[in-house]
Amino acid sequence: MIEMAVDTTKNPIPFEMAQIPGPEMAKAYATKVIGSIIKKSKRPLLVVGAELFDDPVMFDKVIEMGKTGIPIAATAHSVKGFVDRDYLENVYQIGLHPLTNYLRFEDWKGLDGQGHYDTVIFLGIHYKFANGMFSALKNFNRNVRRVSIDRYFHVNANMTFGNLAFSPDDYHEAVDEVIAVLKK
Amino acid sequence: MVKTEGSFAVEDMKNVQINIGAVIKEEDEWDQEMGPYPKPHVATLRDWDFKIVNRYRIFYAPADDTCTLCTFGPCDLTGNKRGACGIDQAGACGKIVLIAVLMGTCAHTAHGRHLYHWCLDKFGDMPFDMGSDILVKAPLTESIIGIRPKTLKDFGQVLSYCEEEITQLLASCHSGQEGHYIDFESKALHSGMIDSLGKEICDMLQTVAYDMPRGDPEAPLVEIGMGTMDQSKACLVAYGHNLAAGAEAMFYTENNDLWEKVEIGGVCCTAIDLTRIAEGLGNTDIPKMIGTKVKVVGAVGWWRKMVRAGIMDAVMVDEQCVWCDVVRDCQPRKIPVIATNDKIMYGLVDRTNDPVDEIVSDLVEFRVAGVVVLDPVKAGEVAVKTALQVKPKRADIKSKIVLTEEEFKTWVETCTRCRQCTYVCPPHIRISNIIEEASKGNLEPFSSTYEICVGCGRCEQACPQEIPILKLYEYANREYIANQKFKMRAGRGPVRDTEIRAVGMPIVMGTIPGVIALVGCSNYPNGTKECYDIAKEFVDRGYIVVATGCMAMDMSLYTDEDGKTIWEQYPGGFDGRNICNIGSCVSNAHIHGAAIKVATIFARRNHRANYDDIADYILSKVGACGVAWGAYSQKAASIATGFNRIGCPVVVQPSSVIYRRAFLGRTDVPEDWMVIDARDGSLVQIEPAPEHMLYVAETKEEAMLMMAKLCFRPSDNSIGRMIKLTHYCDISKKYFGKLPDDWPIFVRHASELPIADKEPMMKELEEKHGWKIDWKAKKIVEGPIRPVDVSFDPTNLPRKIRAKKKK
Repeated sequence: MIEMAVDTTKNPIPFEMAQIPGPEMAKAYATKVIGSIIKKSKRPLLVVGAELFDDPVMFDKVIEMGKTGIPIAATAHSVKGFVDRDYLENVYQIGLHPLTNYLRFEDWKGLDGQGHYDTVIFLGIHYKFANGMFSALKNFNRNVRRVSIDRYFHVNANMTFGNLAFSPDDYHEAVDEVIAVLKK
Repeated sequence: MVKTEGSFAVEDMKNVQINIGAVIKEEDEWDQEMGPYPKPHVATLRDWDFKIVNRYRIFYAPADDTCTLCTFGPCDLTGNKRGACGIDQAGACGKIVLIAVLMGTCAHTAHGRHLYHWCLDKFGDMPFDMGSDILVKAPLTESIIGIRPKTLKDFGQVLSYCEEEITQLLASCHSGQEGHYIDFESKALHSGMIDSLGKEICDMLQTVAYDMPRGDPEAPLVEIGMGTMDQSKACLVAYGHNLAAGAEAMFYTENNDLWEKVEIGGVCCTAIDLTRIAEGLGNTDIPKMIGTKVKVVGAVGWWRKMVRAGIMDAVMVDEQCVWCDVVRDCQPRKIPVIATNDKIMYGLVDRTNDPVDEIVSDLVEFRVAGVVVLDPVKAGEVAVKTALQVKPKRADIKSKIVLTEEEFKTWVETCTRCRQCTYVCPPHIRISNIIEEASKGNLEPFSSTYEICVGCGRCEQACPQEIPILKLYEYANREYIANQKFKMRAGRGPVRDTEIRAVGMPIVMGTIPGVIALVGCSNYPNGTKECYDIAKEFVDRGYIVVATGCMAMDMSLYTDEDGKTIWEQYPGGFDGRNICNIGSCVSNAHIHGAAIKVATIFARRNHRANYDDIADYILSKVGACGVAWGAYSQKAASIATGFNRIGCPVVVQPSSVIYRRAFLGRTDVPEDWMVIDARDGSLVQIEPAPEHMLYVAETKEEAMLMMAKLCFRPSDNSIGRMIKLTHYCDISKKYFGKLPDDWPIFVRHASELPIADKEPMMKELEEKHGWKIDWKAKKIVEGPIRPVDVSFDPTNLPRKIRAKKKK
């Protein structure tokens, strides 16, 4: 039994307040639910960005997730953080823009050539850019489940945390809880 | 073409008048035949557009999921559903993209129309003289319209063409007209091309009429920064993009010998253009080098900071990137506003026909917050007189503009840390954290985020405590503001034909690794310093770096360890390891022009009314990449789209996703990368070069790596490819800590591998990628997408095939 301490369903308002896309908006979920969905995914892809450098401990948490078998797409120059930690096992360097472009095509074979992904999990990515890429998938490839475990409420995701941007300890704990579910 | 117009009555024939609209005869001095597409209309170059979008897939990130453009709406388009009119989400995105690009195109073209009338009114028709070093004088006009203007008046027909195309394009946005996203994008590309032409008209008119530099690599250094405004004088700021009224203020100051009493500064592109005046051929009556007397106060992103820093006594606004709340900002600070262009009138009373002294009196006595004066000459006089007379009356308020220490402390203690400010901050500055630090006496976060703040003021609106957050910034940075004094090279204008002759071959062969064009506005994701960092990275590496507009201004605010700005560190020629300030936003046209000149001067391609042929040449052979790292206004959208149509890729900052559309290549689809070998018509698979056409990067590091990659071209020779690959790999190692994963796809021959890493890279090719290596000869035997072929002549246009392949 994993105890869930952080309420990630609080503050479900867009991190940029005016970001109201339309009738279909994300819901904030508890860490246990998000962790279970990721764990049940057949082909998940963890997509991380350069904001990890602002909070370097997040690299270690991402690596922990990578070690559970989830491949990591390192966008922007975030791959440097993995190089520095000597972890490149299942890390793929790719820009978020071309990655999302590939994700919208059903015939794409994935970063490892083994097939498309059914779930993408974003964290550590420039808010507005991540929001736009979630929107691209929301509108043009709905077969990919959009999950955010970033510190922002992401309105164009299917599942997201509420805003935890000003509660770094809670955020770290929330990610740890997701990791715990993945390891279970 | 020479065109004669007029009308006459026929003698003895009552009520008969014959109108001659256009009698056209061929010029004899242009050795190029008229090309296939003079004055291309909306569908003329559609085939070329389809070649672009078939390779570079149209990618949309909708900013909203609904359409509210007609009374059927709002329609929910989520998941690419169709609205009541039948348009789907992709089509709706394409429509908004086209509208945005048209806004930018209209802004530049309307600027050109205003200058056309104004310059002809003020100076009369003038020979279109670009000096002896520039014979291809109007490359875009020549490539699109097929004429060589001889006088300024000849640009009239070019403007008419632009205006007709804009009208047709905007009509297609009406509900029930265009409905397919691909054709919206073809139309957007057409609009982007018209935008480039509109910019060329603007800059050619003002360059000749105001005698600006004709591609002078040693254009003078001018002063830039908020600290350059001499506060002992009456400080007048001209803000916007159209120099007409600001120039008249300069002339009035000169003619009345007032420079000792009046300081004139510019904000945004008006600043750049004012500082270019009378630095050219010296063939006008304008006092030589008068432009150097004007200060560049800063780019548009600094505007609200300037107002709050209290550095101006009066402001005249003209057009384009001017904030909508200028009067609201200036009125409480008793800064009179003179609106000088009918595109921005702010609800103020039009006083154009009133006597100057009456207008000045109303402004100086603060009876009105501002006025409209649409006659540039009168506006210039009003502005200077107002600045002089209002200065003593503003002494009291001026001393109160910047907060006192006590006021600052009171305000920071008022903050309740509700964080509403951060939820609305475009660059996501954690403002409440900064205020919290300030309450502890630590002002460093206010300093380190000052250049990141875009000065929008949304935080102040959101704050329930009504804390004047921008004023807090001004207080914390008051010393920096006073000392913000740097040098910027004045905009040099076009690239000279002689420069193209020197660099044409190295660019096409790749031995100059690329041309990097830094353009656009001031909405940087992480502050103005990134402009300097990006420029320095590439100029140090031997690229040709050109800059315009806000990026040119913002990169000027930093120095090396010797205190030199980037303009003082490097020469200003169009050459490797040089950096050119081309000029204002409208001078972007000269970057298109330089690429066209490579095709026509170096490669001797006929460019006359031959746009797609030239664009095809540029896409295949000219390793150039545009960067709009602060892309903000719709003009950024039109500028980027215009670059794309002429075959140049563009990288933009992450917030640019709000413009919805990108053009992205798929390297996993080999058939997307087939080109024609013009020698025999055979199809050849090339490496993905350039891989993308419009790309959003998340960080400057990613942008720089992508810029280096987007300079690859299939025409690179082996030395050129080696140089480009070396920089691509080196930037990756520097910022990413490793080689890029895709470096092997650019290798065609062992000699193209970076010299320092050649052996380990060959080993990796063999072990990781299965290539066959002849280690004895140190040659690649098998593996590359294609071998090197020095005579390979890539094209995407079947009409360029010289001889059919033998069967």
